[in-house]
Amino acid sequence: MTCADETARDRALLERVSVLSNDRVAEGVGLIVLQSPRVARSVRPGQFVHLRVAEGRDFVLRRPFSVHAAHGDRLEILYQVLGVGTRALSLSGRGDEMDVIGPLGHGWEIPDTLSHALLVCGGLGAAPMGMLATELAARGVAVSVAQGAPTAPRLVARDLFADAARRHEIATDDGSAGHHGFVTALVEPLLAGDSPDVVYVCGPEVMQRIVAAQASAAGVPCQVSLERLMGCGIGACLSCVVSTVHGQKRACVDGPVFNANEVLWESAEIPPKH
Amino acid sequence: MNQTVNMKVRLGSLELRNPVLTASGTFAAGREYSDFIDLSTLGAVVTKGVSLHPWAGNASPRIAETASGMLNSIGLQNPGVEAFCAGDLLWLATQDVPVIVNVSGHSVEEYVAVARRLESEPTVSALEVNISCPNVDEGGMAFGTSCPAAAEVTRAVRAVTSKPLIVKLSPNVTDITEIARAVEAEGADAVSLINTLLGMAIDTRTFRPKLARAVGGLSGPAIKPVAVRMVWQVASAVQIPVVGMGGIMTADDAVEFMLAGATAVAVGTANFVDPTTTSSVAQGLEAFCRERSIQSVAELTGAVRL
Repeated sequence: MTCADETARDRALLERVSVLSNDRVAEGVGLIVLQSPRVARSVRPGQFVHLRVAEGRDFVLRRPFSVHAAHGDRLEILYQVLGVGTRALSLSGRGDEMDVIGPLGHGWEIPDTLSHALLVCGGLGAAPMGMLATELAARGVAVSVAQGAPTAPRLVARDLFADAARRHEIATDDGSAGHHGFVTALVEPLLAGDSPDVVYVCGPEVMQRIVAAQASAAGVPCQVSLERLMGCGIGACLSCVVSTVHGQKRACVDGPVFNANEVLWESAEIPPKH
Repeated sequence: MNQTVNMKVRLGSLELRNPVLTASGTFAAGREYSDFIDLSTLGAVVTKGVSLHPWAGNASPRIAETASGMLNSIGLQNPGVEAFCAGDLLWLATQDVPVIVNVSGHSVEEYVAVARRLESEPTVSALEVNISCPNVDEGGMAFGTSCPAAAEVTRAVRAVTSKPLIVKLSPNVTDITEIARAVEAEGADAVSLINTLLGMAIDTRTFRPKLARAVGGLSGPAIKPVAVRMVWQVASAVQIPVVGMGGIMTADDAVEFMLAGATAVAVGTANFVDPTTTSSVAQGLEAFCRERSIQSVAELTGAVRL
């Protein structure tokens, strides 16, 4: 899974979609549901869509969002209001139209032989874990979820994880739910106790890096979903590069999911948002 | 109202089926966009810059959105001319569209070596010499901001290529017409402008530049009036055709560039916003002419009424 084979890649679609609902689901977090038949029916866990939120000229770029869930014609996206784009998204409502490019990117690899998976997510890192947890549960894979957030009101997708996971453990920075501290503190006991075949991680890059090291120390393969500022989202502009042992890769087409042992981690900085 | 519009234009000896090109660096070699549009609807594909050896590009973050535009400091990441010829160029050979290769270099010798290597490739219809990239430390824009250096690169590449030669100019100069005249005098068949405007943005939460390289090139609708002005100035100063670009999002934007004096136009940042823009600009340009009973799109070139 080092990089998506160019010749085998799926054709990306440009689809006009309408908003079915847009609700606040946690502190600072919205869930927008789009009527997007073509993308919803072809998206796989870990892939993303590139959303043209508004067609004004004061901001021009699309915004990439992980697909949280897909049911029939409906595409669900979890988003945090961080800048002008997500603020505009938060103001859209039922019946509004926008267009999406998708499904994009190389998603989670699910080995055929998988019997037990550990999903580790922090904050909005829960977004690309939704479809994954549901898919794994449907395949009969035992799922453990370790989920972190700053505070209890900022935990997202708790119901989805509770349904899909055999085990769902929580950590909050302020101790308002679950373990008082970072989610990384939950990982080592789960690695030792559950002996997962694979660890899937998404969240702040520094947290992903720590979990990748924990998995590596336990000898368990680990996949990470990385975030970069994106331009085109389809592999042309080379904005979203990730340094790997195989050279510069594009998060939009070679990722966003990478094998953790391929990634040359960058310095631990807060990724910029726009 | 059903009359056909002659959409053909010429850049030196290169005839294009319509005036709409892709701006280098925004379209890769077109493969990614072939999911969305038929490349044969374009005048030509202008590839991302190609250097002699592989270039790794700059550190991340490489882009930052700004009001009505964006900054980039990609840094001409590319696999080098040999890998380009063995990969993207082979794919382009299967497509029904002229190919203009953007040639980049750190030195005159590097530009020459790339041009020489491409001379024997029949798929390459023309070269665009990039003397205007603001995102590399050596070469790049340095060659496009002085008349003697711009003339030297043009002369050296002209000496080794028989293909139509377009020179891409930087707007980061006091008088762009001097540079345009200098490259015309050395045998350029056309000039393309504008490359990006050098810019900077700072994150007020972290006090750090939004780009890892601190500065980068501004593109998008924000720069269009500057670009139209420069196209008008250059088209008035040289005899060779001008390829106009800078913030084109719609066919109407393209018309504006042609009225200012452009023979052809290129779509850049808009490719990131809507991957079908190039094709819709070409269609819209034809519709614009048809609605006004303009028989040839070339009639728009320089037709601004002063």
